Amino acid sequence: MTGMDAILPTLNGGLQGYLVVALLLFAIGLAAVLLRRTLLMQFMGVELMLNAANVALLAFARFRGGDAQAMVFYLFIIAVAACEAAVGLALVIGLYRHRDTTDSDRAASLKQ
Amino acid sequence: MFMTFALITLLGALGMLLQKNIIVAGLFMVATFFGVAGLFLLLANPVAAALQIIVYSGAIMVLVLFVIMMLNSHEEEKAETSRPVQRWVSVALVLALAFGAVKLVLSSAGVKALDLRGAAMPQAMTLQKVGTTLFADHLLGFEVAGLLLLAAMIGAVALTKRNL
Repeated sequence: MTGMDAILPTLNGGLQGYLVVALLLFAIGLAAVLLRRTLLMQFMGVELMLNAANVALLAFARFRGGDAQAMVFYLFIIAVAACEAAVGLALVIGLYRHRDTTDSDRAASLKQ
Repeated sequence: MFMTFALITLLGALGMLLQKNIIVAGLFMVATFFGVAGLFLLLANPVAAALQIIVYSGAIMVLVLFVIMMLNSHEEEKAETSRPVQRWVSVALVLALAFGAVKLVLSSAGVKALDLRGAAMPQAMTLQKVGTTLFADHLLGFEVAGLLLLAAMIGAVALTKRNL
C-alpha cells in the first residue's frame, strides 16, 4: 500500500493516527533539543518528548480495551516529569547565577 | 475532532520549535499541552486529560514561564561558534527518524489488527478503575513516587537558595 491508502487511516482517529501524532511530536521535541541552544528551549523539547511517549502509551491502552495499568505508568511518568522540571529549572537558575547565561554552548565545561 | 486536536498539538509544537522569543515559545507549549489533553479525551480517558491540564499546562509550564521571566533572557543568545555541520546532521537525523518511524507504523500489520480489535471495545477509563489498580497493585511505587517528589523539592530549594 502506498500514497493515500497509507495516509487515510491516520485521518479518522484510529490507532495509527495517534501513533503518527506521537512520533511527530517526539521528532519535534528531539529537534528542539538538538537545534536550539537555550537551555529552557531544550528543556521544553524534553517535555514534548515525554508527552509524545504518553500519547503513544495511552493510545495503546485505549485500543487494548481501557487497560488501567497504562494509567498507573502515566501517573508515574507525570510524577517524574514534575521532579525533572523542578530540579532542571533549579540547575538553569544556578547556571545563570554563576555564568550569566542560559546558552548550553557557553556551559560546555564544569570549571568556572 | 481528532484532526482538530492533532493539528493544535503539532502546530503548537512546531511554533515552539521555530519561535525566537522564549516566552511566546512557552505559550505555544501551553497550546500543545491542551491539544494533547484533547487527544486524551478522544481516547475515552478523561482522567488523563484532566491530569494533563492540571500538571503540564497548570504547574510545569507556569514554572517554566516563571523562570523565563525571572532570568530576563527572552531571546536566544548569539552563537559563540556556528556549527553548520552538526545542525544539518541533526536535521537529517530527525527527519530520517520521523519518516522511518511513521512509515513503519503505517505499514505494520500488528498495529492495524490492534486498531480493528480495539475499535470494537470502547471502554472508558474511570477514576475508580485507575484508583483500584494504583492502590491494589502499585502501592509501593506510589509511595516511592511521593518520596521522589519530596526529594526533588528539597533538591530544588537547595540548588537555588544562596546560603542555606
